[in-house]
Parts: sequence; structure tokens; C-alpha cells
Amino acid sequence: MSTPTRRVDAREKVTGAARYGADRTSPDLAHAVFAVSTIGKGRVVNVDTAAAEAVPGVLTVVTRIDPAELGSPGFLMGGGYGFQSLQPLTDDRIAYRGQPIALVVADTLVAATEAANLVRADYEPEPIATDLDDEGAETLVQEEAIPLPFLADIVVGDADAAFVKSPVRIEASFDLPRQHQVPMELIGGVVEWRGDTLVVHEGTQNAGALRGGLARQLGMDLAKIEVIAPYTGGGFGQKNSLQPHVGPLALAARRLGRPIKFVMPRTQTFHQASFRPASRHRVRLGADETGRMLAAVHEVDQQTSRHDLFPSMSTEITSRLYGIGDFRGRQRLVRTDVQTPGFMRAPFEHPAAFAFESAVDELAYAVGQDPVSLRLANDTDVDPVTGQPFSSRHLAECLRRGADMFGWAGRTHEPRSMRAADGSRIGWGVAAGVYPASLAPAVARVTATSEGKVTVGVDGHEMGQGIRTAITLLISEDLSIEVGDVTVYVGDTRVAPQHLTAGSWGTATALQAVHAALRELRKHLNVADSDPVDLGAAVAATGQTSVEVEATTIAPGQPPEIIEHSRAGLVSFAGPVYPGFVAFSFIAHFVEVRIEPTTRRIRVPRVVSVADCGRVASPVTAASQLRGAVVWGIGASLREESEVDPRFGGFANATLEEYPIPVNADIGEIEVGFVDEPDPMLNPVGVKGLGEVAMVGVAAAIANAVFHATGRRQRRLPIRIEDVL
Amino acid sequence: MTAIVRGSGGNPANAADEGVCLALGTMGSAESTIASACRTETTFTANGRPVRVELDPRESLLDVLRERLGLTGTKKGCDHGQCGACTVHLNGRRIVSCLTPAVQVNGQAVTTIEGVADADGTLHPLQEAFIDNDALQCGYCTPGQVMSGLACIAEGHAGSDDEIREYLSGNLCRCGAYAGILAAVRETARRLNSPVSEG
Repeated sequence: MSTPTRRVDAREKVTGAARYGADRTSPDLAHAVFAVSTIGKGRVVNVDTAAAEAVPGVLTVVTRIDPAELGSPGFLMGGGYGFQSLQPLTDDRIAYRGQPIALVVADTLVAATEAANLVRADYEPEPIATDLDDEGAETLVQEEAIPLPFLADIVVGDADAAFVKSPVRIEASFDLPRQHQVPMELIGGVVEWRGDTLVVHEGTQNAGALRGGLARQLGMDLAKIEVIAPYTGGGFGQKNSLQPHVGPLALAARRLGRPIKFVMPRTQTFHQASFRPASRHRVRLGADETGRMLAAVHEVDQQTSRHDLFPSMSTEITSRLYGIGDFRGRQRLVRTDVQTPGFMRAPFEHPAAFAFESAVDELAYAVGQDPVSLRLANDTDVDPVTGQPFSSRHLAECLRRGADMFGWAGRTHEPRSMRAADGSRIGWGVAAGVYPASLAPAVARVTATSEGKVTVGVDGHEMGQGIRTAITLLISEDLSIEVGDVTVYVGDTRVAPQHLTAGSWGTATALQAVHAALRELRKHLNVADSDPVDLGAAVAATGQTSVEVEATTIAPGQPPEIIEHSRAGLVSFAGPVYPGFVAFSFIAHFVEVRIEPTTRRIRVPRVVSVADCGRVASPVTAASQLRGAVVWGIGASLREESEVDPRFGGFANATLEEYPIPVNADIGEIEVGFVDEPDPMLNPVGVKGLGEVAMVGVAAAIANAVFHATGRRQRRLPIRIEDVL
Repeated sequence: MTAIVRGSGGNPANAADEGVCLALGTMGSAESTIASACRTETTFTANGRPVRVELDPRESLLDVLRERLGLTGTKKGCDHGQCGACTVHLNGRRIVSCLTPAVQVNGQAVTTIEGVADADGTLHPLQEAFIDNDALQCGYCTPGQVMSGLACIAEGHAGSDDEIREYLSGNLCRCGAYAGILAAVRETARRLNSPVSEG
């Protein structure tokens, strides 16, 4: 038996052998580049392609595609496949700066790039609104604009009345910036036709939506489309759907009879993909003098585009953080002239927890309570929203263990009371996080051979979270075979439907299906579920050289036909409310900040995070994922903000130099821990999600630490030097 | 042996904008041979193997490695020298290959991630340390991190944790594997206890 010490695809990654979408090469490859709109909104009157077409090596310049040839993919959150419903190049409307106006395909990348730079357009510009408060921005009440039950405002009791009656009242408003996922792998890949089959090699979290969306856009049969994405170079929500470049590339590749490689320039990824929308969170918290929380009101304004309604689900978690009897959420959407914003790691939960957990910290100080004790005193066993039990909830254990690991007992309560030898102000802060434990349908096909080897193909995408390792470990442990005897295929529509991997349901979803397939395999081999098995001998005893089984699993309470929805490439997850219970992952973060005496630069030398994600399916990769999410929290709190010039639209700092994500020198010690208690009520493997809850609350813990260091509450992110002068 | 790799593209006979090409061609180094208005022949070694490439002088070393030589381990993360994913070694020193015109490496020695392990597949100690410390997640920045880590050690910049962090801060990792990367470089520097020589 191997021990789960290593990531199973690490060797490929450290040697450069791992093949990402754009790593495909072939002798007849053509290269594509988009020319993009230089206005923020309006109409394209004319596109001049003469100079572009004259560049040697240019094969085609496409400025308009008939919608009959390339329809809308539909919006991911509206029963479709695209990050937005708008398909550029199909009419003359410009909805946002950076929208493609021409596709150039050439023999070489330099020719395509030169030609794209020579495309000129005349426009009829229109006034734009880019921010929440801009003139022309249109505010909608979410539950009226999108009348779907799971997007309705959460209301329990009469929070406004209970708030007014509360002896202690906290009220604050928080502003959060636009942010971008910026995975290191650029969007793109290779699109090719093999006969009448369309093959797409592209890093994605949702090969199923690429297939389903292209089938809808091009009017093709699903069976004639293959999407192959064994490795995705980071997704973080950006690659959760069909991007608008793929359809035009498919058409161009068919017409030219050549495969086309497209690698989106970094600056264009800020404009041609989703982003975390700007949001404002107003929190009112009522409590008694002991700090017992009685009422909470959480109101959210969140940016969306003109053409799609990207919903907010912020109050889903703030209503569950504590046992608050009266809660009222209100979520509004603000239409602005941008591409449709979307999911970025802990999309709503990171902003929501920053606001809510900052207010909770303020409450602790208002009633003179230790922030950890106050949180423990407000814990709950029952979901305040539905009255159902949590499938598992170990938030208190996260807080206690984290406090212990961090040395919280050594903290002095008063702000500005801790100082380092070099004069730096020291602040220690805490915050909790919670995230829905969802599940999606999945199909697992397992083949076992008489040599004792196993191959599995299953729904899931490997984007760094370690899903391939978690699946390998499950099979290796179940069947007592070496890790090296297991081969896992994910991210490939040829082996499974490839439902969206996101929302922290990926690993639990895949493992549940593989677990079910292994039960089928054991039945086939006449081996009892719990018995040890000599796999090779058991397969040989069937008289075959290999045995293949398949299993399909769905989330608790889902109808069986949901699998057909998933096979079509549509989002089909369920949770966090299931029949008879609700399921969430939990976390507690403890942060030390140091504020340098002269520069007032804020550093984060030390973080301790303890998570309750059910059973830890892959200890090594889980620890890495948790550390990485803390790095995300540091970036989101102290660095990342996408700037907008209201005159021009788009994003002004759309490079990796000017949109600063954390670098190695920004990161200090990050100690992580896991409660590691299985959650058998949610699924037989006892696994909840980790990747997103791991980031939820980091920002609040940092802001609370900054308050502890300086005595100043932080109401907006990122926190800058001028906020602590 | 010399591999001759020709690009599929370009049609010099149709060079309507020769002036542009010639002007850009002057970006090439003095050693470059101008084969035609738009094409330049460049020779260098890639992981010890001699190569001769006929190229457009505007082509970056990164694109030549990836698209002409099939050395796709070197990654494009920004194409602007801001992320470090394309880090390779030129004569043993780290460079960002996206900001290096391929013509500029004429006559020189390029080492990529594919040239780090031994020919028999034995990994370099730093590669082993990356695996042991799980210094990666999605893996996309990893080749660049390894190349920078090797250089950091060879430069003598692995003396302390702070120094390693500083000298690896040109390599972005969005997954946030920085703690593991630090540990891997620290461990390897101690183990080798002397500068790494580049082949």
C-alpha cells in the first residue's frame, strides 16, 4: 500500500510533460487573434479589414457571423452554457469595451497579431455606466427580476423589528471591488475537425458545457463533439462555461480545413471572461448585552451586465453562520455596461463574510467579549433558515483548535495593545467561514484487469485541486492496489458527461460516483463490500481479462432524470438544502498582521486555518488547497482591485503588473488543520467541499486584525496604506 | 545532429509590407542571418541539442520553443514578462523567454524544463523536492518556478527564507503554492550545498 503523500500527477507537472490545451501542436496549425472594441458601448458602423487582410500569411478576417450559423450559447445561470448569453460578432451591438469585433486567422501568430492590430473600426458610441452608483446604472430587486425559489431573499422571523428592540446594535456598510480570477493558464487551446467531429482541446472546468454549448450554437449532435481537457491550468470560476471564442474558431477551422490555436492575450482575459462583480453589503446586527445575536439584516447590491442577470447568493451563508432567530436578506442587481460578471472563488461568500464577520467582530468589541468566545456562544446545531439539522457542523471545533494552534490565549484584547520589537503594530484577528456542500450528478466507468490494474473515467476536472489524486487514493485504498496501478481520466467528454466542476462539489461528486462503481465492481467479482480483495485474481476468476462496470450517482433528493440534464452539459447540482438536512463546510481563520512603523505597509506573517470539510479525501492536496485559498484571501484583502475609467469603460489595469496578485514575498507562514470528521449523511464517502470555504472569512480575519493593530475599522477592500495612516 | 524546423507559415512572395518586416528585422542580433525580407535563420542549442530555425524576427523565444520545437513545457502566462511562467535558462542564467526575440539567442545555449531531468528520467533534486513538498497545484507555473528555483540556488540567493521568497517573486503562482515552493528551494539548496551548474 502506498501512503497518500504525493500528488499523483506531480511528476508530469515538474517535468513539463503535462499537456494543457494550448500545448497541442501540429504542422498545419493556424493561429487566431481577436481585434476588440475600443468603445464602452454602442454600435459598430464599419470595420476596415483591408490592412489586416494584406498582411502576409493572413488566411481570413471575420467581422460578422450570421446568427443562423452561430446562435447564442445561452447564459450559464439561465439554462444555457456560456459565461454570458451575448455572442460577439453576430450583430453590430457593442455591450462593453474589449468585446471582439473581428477574428483574424493566419499561418503564424505574429501575422495574426499584426493583422489584428491593423483592424480599424468606426463606432457610434453611447453613454456608459460602469459602477454601482453611476448615472444610468439600473437597480433591480433580484427576487422580482429572477423569480426562482433558490434566488429569493432569505427571511426568517421579523429581523427589522428584532433589530430595533436589540439593546446592542451594529450597523455598517462595506464596499468590495471588481476582481479577476487570473488563472496562470491563459484562456484558449486548439480547435480542430476530425472528419465531421469537432474536437476542442481547452483548459476548462466544464467540458460538458463546451460540448453542449457548441452543439446548441452550431446546431450539432452532441456525439459529434469531443472536449478534451486532462489538465486545466487553474480555473477559479473563470473557466466554468463556454467562452465566446470557441464557436467562431470552430466555424473558421471548418472553413479553412485546418486546426486553429488560440491563446487569449492576458489583457483580453480581463474583458472576455467573467469577473467578481463590485458589491456593497450593508449589515445590521442586533444583540443583547452578553453578545447573544438576536437579529441580522444583510442587504446586498451587486453589479451585473445589461444582457444577463448574474444573481447574488450572499445571504445563503450569512443566515447560517450563527443561530440568529430573526434574519432578513435583500439582494439587488445593478445593471452596468460590462461583460457579464460571474463566479470567482467563493464568489458571494468571500464578500459576504468580509462584511458580516467584520460586523460580528465589532459586536464583540461593543459588548467587551473575546471574538472567539462570542462566536462560540452563538453557534447552532440547527439551521436557522429551514429548521433542519446540519449534516455535520464542526465550526466550534475549528475555532477552538485554531485558537489553540495560533496561541490566541496570548492575545491582549485592547486595540493597539500589541507591538513588535521593531515598532510594528501587531494585530490578531479571527473570522469564521461557511460554504454550501453541494453535489452534482456523475457517471463513473471503472475497468479492472486481471493484472490488478484499474482505469476510471469520471465526471470531474483537474485544475490543481487534486481531484485526480483523491480519486486514485479512494480506489487504491478500496481495492488494496498501488497508487501507480490506478489511471484516472477526467475532463474528457469521451469518458463521462463532464458536468461543471465548481462550487466545491467536484471531489465529493466524483468520489461518490467512483465509490458506487467500486460497489458494482465488487458485486461483479463476488467480493463482499468490506472484504479485502486480490483484484487481479478476482478478475481472472471471472474468466475475463478485464471487467468493466459503470455507476451513476446524483445528489440526495434529485430526480433520476437529472442525469440527462447533466449529459446535455447543463448545470445540475443540488444543495445545500436536501430532504431532511442541510450541508455546509466550515472554517476558522486566525491572522496576524504587522503594520510597519514608517511605511505603514501591512504584512501578514502568520495565518492559522482549520477547516471542517468532512473526511479529508487527499491530505496532501487538501492542505495545499487550503494554503492557496489563504493566499487568495490575502490578495483579495490587500492587493486586488480592478480599476475602471468611467469615461472609457473596460478595465484600466488589465495586466499582471498592474493587477497585483500575491507573490512569494507577500506570503508568510500558513499553518492548516482539518477536523477530518466524515459526513456520512451527505454521501457515502463522507466528503464535503474545501476549495471555496477555505477562502471564506480570510478577508474579515485580516480586517479584524488590522482593527486590532490600529483601532480602525475597515469598510472597503482592498485595505491600503492610506487606510491605516 | 541538427534538427531543421520550418514554420508552416508566411508567404514571402506576398510580402506586401516588406518595409515593416525589414524594420522589425533590425531587432535581431548582429549574428542573425537575414534569409529573406521576413525570414531569419537562427541556430542555438535547446537542452544540448543543436537546432536551426528559420523564423520571423518578431517571434519570441517562447513561441519558437513551443510552436516550432515542440518544447511545450515552457508556458505562456502573460507574454509580457510579468508572470515568469516562461522562464528558461540562457547560458545558465534565467530569462523570460516571452521577452526574448528568438533571433537574440543565436549561437547560445537554451535550457528548458524538458532538459532539467537526466536523460534516463531521473529527476533533478529540485524537481523531487517540488513533488515532496507539493510545491504545485494546477502545474501551469511549475516549469517556470523550477527554472527560477534552479537559478535562485545557482545565483547564491537561497541563503534565507526571505531571500528565497524575494528571488522567486518574479514567478507568479495563482494557486498559491508559495509555501511549498519556498520549502522545495530551501531543502534543495541545503542538500546541494553548493551552486548548481547548468549544462
